[in-house]
Amino acid sequence: MNAVDPTDFLDELEAGELALEFEDQGPSEILTWGLRRFPRSLALVTSFQIEGMVLLDLAIQIDPDVRVLTVDPGKLPAETLEFIDKVRHRYGVRVEVFRPREEEVRGMVQNYGENLFYHDVSSRLLCCHVRKVRPLTRGLRGLNAWVTGLRRDQWASRANVLKLEIDHDHDGIAKLNPLADWTNEDVESYARKHDVPRHPLYEKGYTSLGCAPCTRPVRPGEPLRAGRWWWEKNAPKECGIHCALETGNLEREVEHLLEESPRDLSDQTTRQQPTEAS
Amino acid sequence: MIDEVLRRNSREVLKKEKHPLDIRAELPRMVEEGYERVSEEDLVRLQWHGVYHDRPKSGGFMLRVKLPGGILAPSRLAAIGEIAERFGRGYGEITTRQDLQLHSIAMKDLEEIFITLERSGMTSLGACGDVVRNITGCPLAGISKRELFDVRVLVTELTHFFEGNREYSDLPRKHKITVSACPDQCNVPEIHCQAFVGILRGDERGFALRLGGGLSTVPRLSQNLGVFVPFEETLEVARATLDVWKDDPSNRRSFAKARLKFFLDKIGPEEYRGRIEEKLGRRLDSLDVIPPPPAESTHLGVQEEKRAGLYSVGFPVSAGRFDGRAMIRVAKIAARFGDDIRLTRQQNLIVTGIPERDVDRVRREVETSGLPVGNDLAGRGIACTGGPHCNFALTETKGRLVEIQNRLHAELGNDAAGIHIHLDGCPHACGHHWTGDIGLMGTTQRRESGERVEAYSVILGGGRGAQAAIGRPVIRRILAENVADRLVALVRAYRDSGARSFREFNDRTDEQALVSLLAGPDFSRPSSSLSSKTDSSETETS
Repeated sequence: MNAVDPTDFLDELEAGELALEFEDQGPSEILTWGLRRFPRSLALVTSFQIEGMVLLDLAIQIDPDVRVLTVDPGKLPAETLEFIDKVRHRYGVRVEVFRPREEEVRGMVQNYGENLFYHDVSSRLLCCHVRKVRPLTRGLRGLNAWVTGLRRDQWASRANVLKLEIDHDHDGIAKLNPLADWTNEDVESYARKHDVPRHPLYEKGYTSLGCAPCTRPVRPGEPLRAGRWWWEKNAPKECGIHCALETGNLEREVEHLLEESPRDLSDQTTRQQPTEAS
Repeated sequence: MIDEVLRRNSREVLKKEKHPLDIRAELPRMVEEGYERVSEEDLVRLQWHGVYHDRPKSGGFMLRVKLPGGILAPSRLAAIGEIAERFGRGYGEITTRQDLQLHSIAMKDLEEIFITLERSGMTSLGACGDVVRNITGCPLAGISKRELFDVRVLVTELTHFFEGNREYSDLPRKHKITVSACPDQCNVPEIHCQAFVGILRGDERGFALRLGGGLSTVPRLSQNLGVFVPFEETLEVARATLDVWKDDPSNRRSFAKARLKFFLDKIGPEEYRGRIEEKLGRRLDSLDVIPPPPAESTHLGVQEEKRAGLYSVGFPVSAGRFDGRAMIRVAKIAARFGDDIRLTRQQNLIVTGIPERDVDRVRREVETSGLPVGNDLAGRGIACTGGPHCNFALTETKGRLVEIQNRLHAELGNDAAGIHIHLDGCPHACGHHWTGDIGLMGTTQRRESGERVEAYSVILGGGRGAQAAIGRPVIRRILAENVADRLVALVRAYRDSGARSFREFNDRTDEQALVSLLAGPDFSRPSSSLSSKTDSSETETS
C-alpha cells in the first residue's frame, strides 16, 4: 500500500520549471500531473474544509482511488468527525487518519495543562506541534507528494505560495497547491455548482476550521482566519503545518521559540529513572 | 486585465492600497502602536526602504544600505560601521549587489538611521522591493588600467533617475541592472535583468545589451539582444527596456512569473528588441557578437591603477561578514593613505588610490583588522545571509562557508585555489548556487531519531563569464556537518585528475564517480544518489 520509491524525487530545476508552467494551469491539470507523476505515493492532505473538499471532488474525477490523509489532533469538534464519515460515504474513499502520540500528549498536558494554548503564543504553537505537526510529519513520511488547499489570498504570509514546491521541511517531497491562485469566491462557486458537501460548521459562521477550543465563528467583516486563535494579537494564523519557504517557516519559528524557553514533554508517570550504569 | 491582476496577485493589491514609498511617514505611528500591531502588509511596504524582517519575527530588522557601483568614501564606511555598532549587532554584510546590510535593527531606530545615512549622502531607499535595485558594476570602475572606459557617470545617472521615482517604484517585481566596461565582465552580466556590457565600436563608447538573466528557483542566463547602445543613450534605453516589461499588465498577474526573464521567455529577444525600438521611436544599431571575457577576475590583491603611481589593493572578507570596528578601522586607513573604498559582488573589499610606497603598509594594517589572509578560496566564495537572520533560510550559511574554505585550504592548499564555492541557505539562490564551480543549496535532513538537521544539495557544472552556465543538482541533502569532508574528497580527485580547471574536471568526469565522491565512504547504492529517505550514509551520526 505505502510502497514508496525512495528515488522518486523531483529535481530542484524540474520543480522550478513546472511551477512556472502551472501558473497558467487550473487545479485539474495540476492534479492530473501529480497523480500520474506519483502514482500511489501522492495523497490529498485535508482537514475537510471547503478547499480540501473541492480538491477531493476534482481528484476523484481523475482517480477514484486517490489517497486521502488527515490528522485527528484529538480536539476536533464532533461535527468534523461526523462530516468525515459523510465524506467517506459520498465519495467512497478510505481516509488515512494520523493521530498524536499518546505519551507526548500526556507529557504536555501534565506539564502545561489541558488548555495550555490560551496562555501564550509559544504554548499554543507547542500544542499545534504535538497534536498536528508531528502526526502530519509521520503521515508524510509514507509519501512522495502531498496536495493541499493553500490559497494565496488566505493570509499575507501565503501570498507567494507556488503551485508546486519542494517541501524542505518534510524530507524534500513535492507539495502541490493546486488552488493557490483561486479566490474564496472561486472555491465557493465550484462547490455550489458541483454540490460538494460542506462542513456543517460553516453554516454557523465559522470560516476556518480547526480544533474545537481554538476555533470560533468570525463576525461579519473580519478576516477569514480571524476565528483561529482569536485571543492572540497579530501572531501568525498558522499552526506550522504549511511552513513552506514562502510562508515564513513557522515550524522553524516554533523550534526557535521553544529553544528560547525549553519545553519538557516528558511523561512523569512513565519516565524511567536513570540506572546506575548509565 | 487589471481586475484579474488584483484578484490573483495580492502583492499588487498591497501596492495599490497604499504606496510603499509613503510608509516611511507612518513609522512614528508604527513605533507607537508597537511591533506586534503592525500589519504584515506594512512590513512588506517597508522593503521599499531597504528594510526586511530578521528572524525570528520578534521585532528585529535587516537594513540594506544601497551603494551604487559598490563605491563609497571612507567617511561613509565609517558611518555605516558606527550605525552597526550603535544600533545593530556590531557587524554588517557585504552583498552580491555591492550593498552593505545590517541586522537586528529596532523599528524605533529606523528613522534616526535613515537620517544619519542621508546626512552622509547615502540611502537604503530602493535597496529592496519592486524597484530598480542597486546598480552594480566593476568595482574598479574609473580607475582600472584595463577598463575600456569609465562608466561611473552612468551609474550615478541611472541611480538618480530611478531612486524614489514613483513611476518606477511599482514594478511587477524587483529589477536588476548592471553597467560595466570591465573587459573581464566581472559583474556577471549573465545573471542580470538588464546588463550593459561595455564595447568600443572604433573609438565610440557604447554597450551591448543582455537581457533576462536571473537565478532564484528558476534560473536563466541573459540573452544578447543584438544591439549597440551609444554611451549617452544608456539611460534612455534602460528606461525603454524597463517600460516594455513594466507596462505590460500580463507581467503582474502572477508574482511567481513577474520577473523580466519570464517575459523574455514568452516573447523572445527579437520581439523584445522591436518593442524597445517602438518605445524609443527609432531603430537601434545591430551588434551581433559580444567579445567573450578573456579571464575571470575578482580584482583582489595589488593592482596598478590608470592614475599614475597609484594602486588598488583588494582584500577577501570571509563570506562578506564585516565587523563594525573593522569598517571604522579600514575607513581610517583608506582616508589616510588612499582614496575611496569599493565593495565587490564576491563580498570583498578594495581600498583604492594608494601610492606605491604605502601599499605594503596598507596591506599589513588592513589584514590585521581581522580579514583572512592568504586563502585564495576566501576571495572567491559567496554565502547568502542565511540563518539565523533570514526568514527563508533552512541553514546557517556564512560560518559553514568559512569552515569549508578553511578545511579545503588546510588540506589541499594551493591545489584548491581558483574554485568558486557559492553557498545558499535555501533554494532562492541569493548566494548564486547555480553559477558556482561548486554550488551548495541549503535544505534539511532527518536522522533516524527523527531529529531534523541542516543539509546541503550539491550543484556542479555552473560557471560565470565566458564559462557561464547553470549547474545541475548532483546529489541531494548531504548532512551539513559532512559537507567539508566530501568537498575535500571531490577537490582531491580534481587535483589528481590533472584537469586544468575545476569546470574541466566536472565536464570530463563520469557522473556516478562525482556522486560517489560526494556521497561519502558508506555509500553503496548508486541508484539512490538523488534520493534521501533511505540514504543510510546520511542518517547516521559520525
